[in-house]
Amino acid sequence: MIYVENLRKEFKKTIKDPGVIGSLKALFHPHNEKVIAVDDISFNVPEGEVMGFIGPNGAGKSTVIKMLTGILTPTSGKCTINGKNPAEDRKNYVREIGVVFGQRTQLWWDLPLRETYGVLKEIYEVPDDKYKKRMAFLNEVLDLESFITSPVRTLSLGQRMRADIAASLLHSPKVLFLDEPTIGLDVVVKDNIRNAIEYINKQENTTVILTTHDLADIELLSKRIVMIDKGKNVFDGTISELKSKYGQIRELHFETDTQNADKVLAYKEHFGFVDDDISIKTEGTGVQVRFNSEVVPVSEMLSYTLGKININDISVKDADIEEIIRRLYKREV
Amino acid sequence: MKNIKRMLRMHRIFVSQEIKRMMEYKGDFIVGIIGFLLGQFFNLLFLWIIFSQIPSLVGWTLEQVIFIYGFSLIPKGLDHLLFDNLWSIGHFTVRKGDFDKYLTRPINPLFHVMVEKLQIDALGELIMGIALICVTLPTLAIEWSVVKIILILLVIPFATLIYTAIKIATAAIAFWTKRSGNITYMFYMVNDFAKYPVTIYNNFVKAVITYIIPFAFTAFYPANYILTGENPLFNIGLTVVISLVLLVISVLIWNRGIKAYESAGS
Repeated sequence: MIYVENLRKEFKKTIKDPGVIGSLKALFHPHNEKVIAVDDISFNVPEGEVMGFIGPNGAGKSTVIKMLTGILTPTSGKCTINGKNPAEDRKNYVREIGVVFGQRTQLWWDLPLRETYGVLKEIYEVPDDKYKKRMAFLNEVLDLESFITSPVRTLSLGQRMRADIAASLLHSPKVLFLDEPTIGLDVVVKDNIRNAIEYINKQENTTVILTTHDLADIELLSKRIVMIDKGKNVFDGTISELKSKYGQIRELHFETDTQNADKVLAYKEHFGFVDDDISIKTEGTGVQVRFNSEVVPVSEMLSYTLGKININDISVKDADIEEIIRRLYKREV
Repeated sequence: MKNIKRMLRMHRIFVSQEIKRMMEYKGDFIVGIIGFLLGQFFNLLFLWIIFSQIPSLVGWTLEQVIFIYGFSLIPKGLDHLLFDNLWSIGHFTVRKGDFDKYLTRPINPLFHVMVEKLQIDALGELIMGIALICVTLPTLAIEWSVVKIILILLVIPFATLIYTAIKIATAAIAFWTKRSGNITYMFYMVNDFAKYPVTIYNNFVKAVITYIIPFAFTAFYPANYILTGENPLFNIGLTVVISLVLLVISVLIWNRGIKAYESAGS
């Protein structure tokens, strides 16, 4: 369905000295520098899959999405979606995709929401009967009824996002690109939107590419993750693969009446952990220790801890995906 | 043919959307109308004061000068009314990354940008232009023929296109520089020269507004044909040719520009 091969995007950046003088100097003697935003990214997405596309801020996610949606022309490399090349066959290609940029809106700002759908119907040439059915469906999934007559500028962020997602789905696209669709939303609205995405994916076998910083989105929606950083592929696989590959992190949590438990325990000195492998947080009598179970097995950590201080309550937890990602983001690639 | 039908339909839909938008802010709309009427009144007053001091201009009578002035407002007003949104490309649409939206829709982005907005202020120029033509026409001894009327009607859309093409080309510069509103403005201002008979200028200015930034073809040359009936091949024919050449060049620049578009971070 989606084939991305060695995709690369360079931007030119003019380097300026600070201040007005610097700006004036750059006007006459521009000093350009090449910035590589996306560097040799490859992945495939089969039809009907929800792919979670993640990476830290500035990793190049949006640039990749913009190349896949035909907004940017790649410097080199290839992407083929539905057998079409976005940059070359843009007009036909975009009929088959839906795009939502969470930070922007494609709705007609000054007009009642309904008017936007009326114009999009014409832009995508959706026939009347299909349009009626589709609106009924979208209304059911995204619950637009209560604000469809309100001007877009009066909508809350959650309503606007639902409206934007509906706008991207009006023409029944085969592929849906969602760039941070849950950004800035409250828990309930996030849930609604996730459910809607999941429902549409199941109902219509829509392929979805989803970028987000909320890993709950990924855990609930997609089995597959592609992670990039500094414009390069870092990880490509399922969530369980990610966990088994990087999931040696365990979380030890205990209650103790020993004062300065972390000093007494001195895990780092005792086991020779390096920085990345352990972190300790103390809150009142509760202590939370995250450690790499490959360096020190859980059993050893437990017996050492129990022998060293007085423990009232203790538990060991699996690493959550958030912790894995945090470590991957922090690590230099 | 199917394409043109679809374009006309889309145009109608965008225009109706625009009118609905204006009605959404009634106060602003009404004040806008009042402001525009006042503006036109002062414009007229100003013209009257100027022209009443100058009985004739290098062989052109006062009425002829006013006629040319009035005619110049028609193509300018049409372009202003229909395609004003091109200004926003050079000012902020590209710079802020809002151009993304046009590229993810299955219609030609240039067409989409051009017809998305309607600039009602331009009605002032059009009304004023028509009024000046109507007032001066009876006083000018113009010979009419069917061919002449057809040629005049034909030349107006092409003269309009000269404005539009210059706006497209200069707006497209923003795809590289991120901002080109002032370049558009600079070119656009040259059109002030075109409101008066070209023969009053020295050769340099004449050459510039004829061959380089050919605004003279939006007003003086066609109007000259109407007044004198002379040289239709140059006055009308070249207007058509120049406008088409400009359009082709500007669309080429635009299309190259889209490939260079860099969006904005999000």
